[in-house]
Parts: sequence; C-alpha cells; structure tokens
Amino acid sequence: MSTQTAVKSNSPAGKLYERVRNHGVDFFVSVPCSLLGEVIEILETDEEVTYTPVTREEEGIGILAGAYLAGRTPAIVMQNSGYGNIVNAVCSLTNYYNIPIVMLVSHRGSAGERIDAQVPMGDAVQGVMEASGVKCLSVEGPSDLDSVDEGIVWALANEKSIAFLLPFSYWQEAESYVPEHR
Amino acid sequence: MRRYEATNEILTAIGDELVICNIGHPSQEIFTLRDRPENFYMFGSMGLSSSIGLGVAMAQDRKVIAMDGDGSVTMNMGTLATIGLVRPKNYMLIIIDNMAYGSTGFQRSFTADNLRLEDVAAGSGVEKVLVITEQEQIASTISGLLKEDGPHVIVIKCEPGMPEGIGVIPIDGMAVRDRFMGAAKSDG
Repeated sequence: MSTQTAVKSNSPAGKLYERVRNHGVDFFVSVPCSLLGEVIEILETDEEVTYTPVTREEEGIGILAGAYLAGRTPAIVMQNSGYGNIVNAVCSLTNYYNIPIVMLVSHRGSAGERIDAQVPMGDAVQGVMEASGVKCLSVEGPSDLDSVDEGIVWALANEKSIAFLLPFSYWQEAESYVPEHR
Repeated sequence: MRRYEATNEILTAIGDELVICNIGHPSQEIFTLRDRPENFYMFGSMGLSSSIGLGVAMAQDRKVIAMDGDGSVTMNMGTLATIGLVRPKNYMLIIIDNMAYGSTGFQRSFTADNLRLEDVAAGSGVEKVLVITEQEQIASTISGLLKEDGPHVIVIKCEPGMPEGIGVIPIDGMAVRDRFMGAAKSDG
C-alpha cells in the first residue's frame, strides 16, 4: 500500500481496498453509494491509481475495458443496483473479449436494509450476475477477505470478471468512520 | 456528403493513433478500407465506443481516436459529461452525425430533430468542439487537430450511406483484442 494513500487501513473500506490494490488493480471507476463512501474517498486521494467517477455504470464498463486493452488492471466500485445497468456491456464487451473486471459491489437489499425498494434488485443481483457469466462472491465481513484474494487471482488468471458483493454485515464495523463532510 | 465518404476522409488523416471503431457498419467499413492492428472493432455494446476510447486514453499516453455515431453517443450521453470532467489531452472523439440509426435500417435519430451533440459536449466542459460540414475540410482539419492537445470532440454532419461490398468482419473478438493490445503496448 502506498504511503501517500490516505487509507484508514483498519476500517472495512481500507482493508478491502488494500487487498484489491495488492493484486495490481490500478484503474478504477465509481458510481456513488452511501456504503461505499470511504472507498470513494480513498480513490480520490490515492495518487498511484487512475480514477474517475462515471455517470452510469455501463459507461464505466466501457472505460475499464479500454483501460485493460491498454495494459491496466481495472475495477468498478458500485451498488448492486448498478449491475442492472451493465448486463449488456458485460456480455457483449467484457465477456466477449475476455476482459476481466473486478467489481466491488455494495449489496443494498441485504439483511439490515431499511428501504423496501432496494430489496427486489438486492434479491435478484446474484442470479443476474451468474446468468450473465460473472462469478459472484458474498463477503460477509472483513474476516472473509481471503476470498477476495482468491477471487481476484482466479479472475485475472482466467481473464474473467468477478463481483464481490458487500452486504450491510460487511460494513458494520464502519460505524466508527465519520466522513469529513458530516 | 455520405457517411462512408466522411469515414474515408477521416482515415486518410489518421497516422499511428489507436482507433476505437463503433459497432456495425462503421467498423465493417473501416476494416475494409484500412484494417490495422491499432483498430479495435467493437462488435457489441452499442454506445460504448467513446467510453472504451476514453479508458484507453486515460490508461496510456498515445493518441486515441474514438469513432462514434450520433445514435450511439445519444445512447450513452453521460460519456460527454465524463470526457468533460477527465479531459485527457490524448483523446479525440469523432461523432459522425448522419441523423439516423444506419446499421439498424436508417431509423431517424434524435439529431434529425432537436438534439445538438456539439452543444452537449461544450456544455459538459469540452473546450475544443468543432463541427465539420464540408467533406474537403475533414482530412486537413483532423490531421491539424491531431498535432494539438485535446480533448477534441468533432461532429461531422452528413447524410446516411454505406458503400457496396462491405460485410461482416472475418476476424473474431479475441484476435481483434490481442492485436490491439500488442499495438497499444508498443510506442507507436
């Protein structure tokens, strides 16, 4: 991990980010989610990665495909609702051309959700990922982060995309984290 | 000016740039007229040519040209906001605006009515936005702009049209990918 990086490495966001960076992932796009706030703050301050926010997840998949074609190792940071916006791009671009994308996906609609409308896509997302050829692992807490290591190694070696679903349980320890704008 | 005539003019201006080619007729036409390893043919994912090009431009230093169409950019209009935010110096987006969805049977597109993509690009923060309407201006204008820093968004206004003898590209996606990645890795 870069010393310039403002990673609060003991937080769930910092621990996740460190694991991902350790595999050479060096190009990120994001779409906001309240659960991902600290990951996005880290991305904004890490001078060793290329990063941009995107307007919509599908656009992000296009940008990341381009980054991979130019030799980089790309990841998207998004909410599970965003997976619904990228299915065609995943099938006809990244799956078709064997372009691996690491997906860090906050899982709204998982246990602890307070907004009913998040539940249908929360319930559907794993099936939609599998049906569209993206391996999906649920990371229930920071103690499960070894599965992220194994998943990224598999994805990069096989040129397949992989999604890590991060439910409310993953972020529980994050309550001690207070974003600067609060 | 027909769309394929505009494409032909653009191709004469291109040197060693990395080129992302839009889905459908545009890719087929560029493959037939001037296939090269530096061309990435996008066989699916309509709307994402500009985004793929933006990613290539952000990831490395060589000049990148994304060849796109008005219907495709309209489908992914957020791309202009992101280009206006990131503003890579090595990026040129060429929108061939034929006011139609040519590859799907020439249905009218939104630019046939009120949409002006050049205004959306300018309103997104892209400073160098240019509209070209005359065929004879295309090659000299683009080769001149390629010597400057970008990003550039160029909108070429033309009529729909595809020449005879253009068909499906006979190389598969992995071959397109691998040779483009090899070309992108070299210094040009």
